Amino acid sequence: MRSLSSRLRCSYLAALTALRERAAYAGNFGASMLTYGLFVFIFSRVWAGAYAGDALIAGYSLDMAVWYFIVAEISAFGFGRFFWGLSRDVKSGQVAYLLARPYDFVGYHYAERLGGSLAEVGFIALEGLVAGLILVGPLPAALVGGGAAAGIGRAAVVVFSLFLAGTLQFYLQFALALSAFWLEENDALYWIYQKFALVVGTLIPIEFLPEAAARLSLWTPFPYLSYAPARLFVAFSWDEAARLIGGQLAWIAVGMALARGTFALGSRRVALNGG
Amino acid sequence: MAVIEADQLTKTFSLRTRPEGRFAALRGMIRPNIRAVEAVRGVSFQVEEGEVVAFLGPNGAGKSTTIKMLTGILAPSGGGARVLGLDPSRERRRLAWSIGSVFGQKSQLWFHLPPSDSFKLLGAIYEIEPKELARRTAALSERFALAELMDAPVRKLSLGQRIRCEIAASLLHKPRVLFLDEPTIGLDVVARKEIRALIAELNKEDGVTVFITSHDMGDIEKICKRAIIIHHGRVVIDESMKALKHRALSKKYLGVRYAGPVDLELPGLSPSKRTERSARYELDTAKHSLAEAVRALASRGELEDITVEDEPLEDVIAAIYASKSEDEAGAFGASRRVRGAGDA
Repeated sequence: MRSLSSRLRCSYLAALTALRERAAYAGNFGASMLTYGLFVFIFSRVWAGAYAGDALIAGYSLDMAVWYFIVAEISAFGFGRFFWGLSRDVKSGQVAYLLARPYDFVGYHYAERLGGSLAEVGFIALEGLVAGLILVGPLPAALVGGGAAAGIGRAAVVVFSLFLAGTLQFYLQFALALSAFWLEENDALYWIYQKFALVVGTLIPIEFLPEAAARLSLWTPFPYLSYAPARLFVAFSWDEAARLIGGQLAWIAVGMALARGTFALGSRRVALNGG
Repeated sequence: MAVIEADQLTKTFSLRTRPEGRFAALRGMIRPNIRAVEAVRGVSFQVEEGEVVAFLGPNGAGKSTTIKMLTGILAPSGGGARVLGLDPSRERRRLAWSIGSVFGQKSQLWFHLPPSDSFKLLGAIYEIEPKELARRTAALSERFALAELMDAPVRKLSLGQRIRCEIAASLLHKPRVLFLDEPTIGLDVVARKEIRALIAELNKEDGVTVFITSHDMGDIEKICKRAIIIHHGRVVIDESMKALKHRALSKKYLGVRYAGPVDLELPGLSPSKRTERSARYELDTAKHSLAEAVRALASRGELEDITVEDEPLEDVIAAIYASKSEDEAGAFGASRRVRGAGDA
């Protein structure tokens, strides 16, 4: 049985090594940064058109809507690719070689793959911050008002929520990717997942949805992927932070159980013929 | 003491095939044709501690599948295996502490980072204390001559350098058994020689049991004491290298070159290749006396050159590989098999 300290050291080094590998070439992030920048610019113009004459839509001002989009897309862009790597590893049989190690497979890959994505998230977040300051102006008052210490505290909560969003993304995508043990073609599953995630809280806040749909969506994991950190960024309140982070933690528990269950069943089905 | 035991080890894969005819794709979705492919069919053998065993066979014979079952990567469909007293498929994680594996075509090193980073991560995976890890890394670095490679990104290393790093990485946790699946694939002559020397040294100095698959007969002849040949998923030969080489001695290649044209036909023996004044004969020493053949050829004319060569081990094994059906392979194996005889 591995001790907690050795597990933590292993996770830390896995995350750090993956981060270094990804950061070996800053150019790796060029494509996603370019696409992200383009999305932010286009949507800032779309919202400007949509808000013509309206001060608020569903409680969001134009500035809030643009900042919301900037933060929601950080999660979608930075943590949206776990599925492809994992699914490819299962389909190609590479996963079999990863099994021959004395580690907790799910835990190790959480550390490694989330760690690898942090460099990209960092670059995109920085780009989003600069883009927001240029396109919108100052950061939302709900986040930074009331003094530096309070502002830092609230920002830390938003960063924590973003980290939890990445964790939830990992576990859900891990479970989806491992469906490749049973399905020869599982990309369609991810496509459906991605579209739900996009509509429920990434492209638009859930308050923009019809009331019944918004209420229903809170019983799904999708608002906790992008909506939670973006909502806290533009309309921070401690009550809402507790509710949203509580939801994120609950869904992470569900996602973790799903990922571990899928792995336990799927790893028995590893089949790779030939060298 | 046996450290690897395979008992009637079997692996059957299910292969989905598309039905023929109209609406084949649609019918395939509803009721796919599933074909069973028997990759390994009841393989049994034992490997003693400290042995270096070659596990040979043509492509598709079941070598890699067997190694994957022995390392716990694949669960067998039938039979059983024990490595260091553990059941690989049920106790994979426990077993991983005591075995090392290198799959020549798969890398365990991070491509854009120097090997030292991968070594640190592997050290953490195997719970090696940082000080101890530094000591082991230094020792392996010296033995495998990695000092200058440790800080270069893996993508900048030659294949030979990378494989040296891969083997060193697989030894960090001091495994008792090392599984090498085609470790010299794609390497040049010099790199192959280096890797072979290192494997032999590991076995001799540290007593590591080595189970190796390779298509390179040089690897086998130079470092292995025993060969298990698998064909069509079954063991057809399991004997010492000494015994296997002895088979090669039963066939000789005799080459002659004369100063002028001579009659090259010998009683009961025709040349396999000939020109007007040179010939090459394949002699089965059970049927023909080598000495008599040499005497007879020397009396035919003025000899400029004469050579006698053993049948290359590669040819002996190629003859087994070339068997067209499993029965043929079985018959070939049965006729040649000398289980346990002449063990080194």
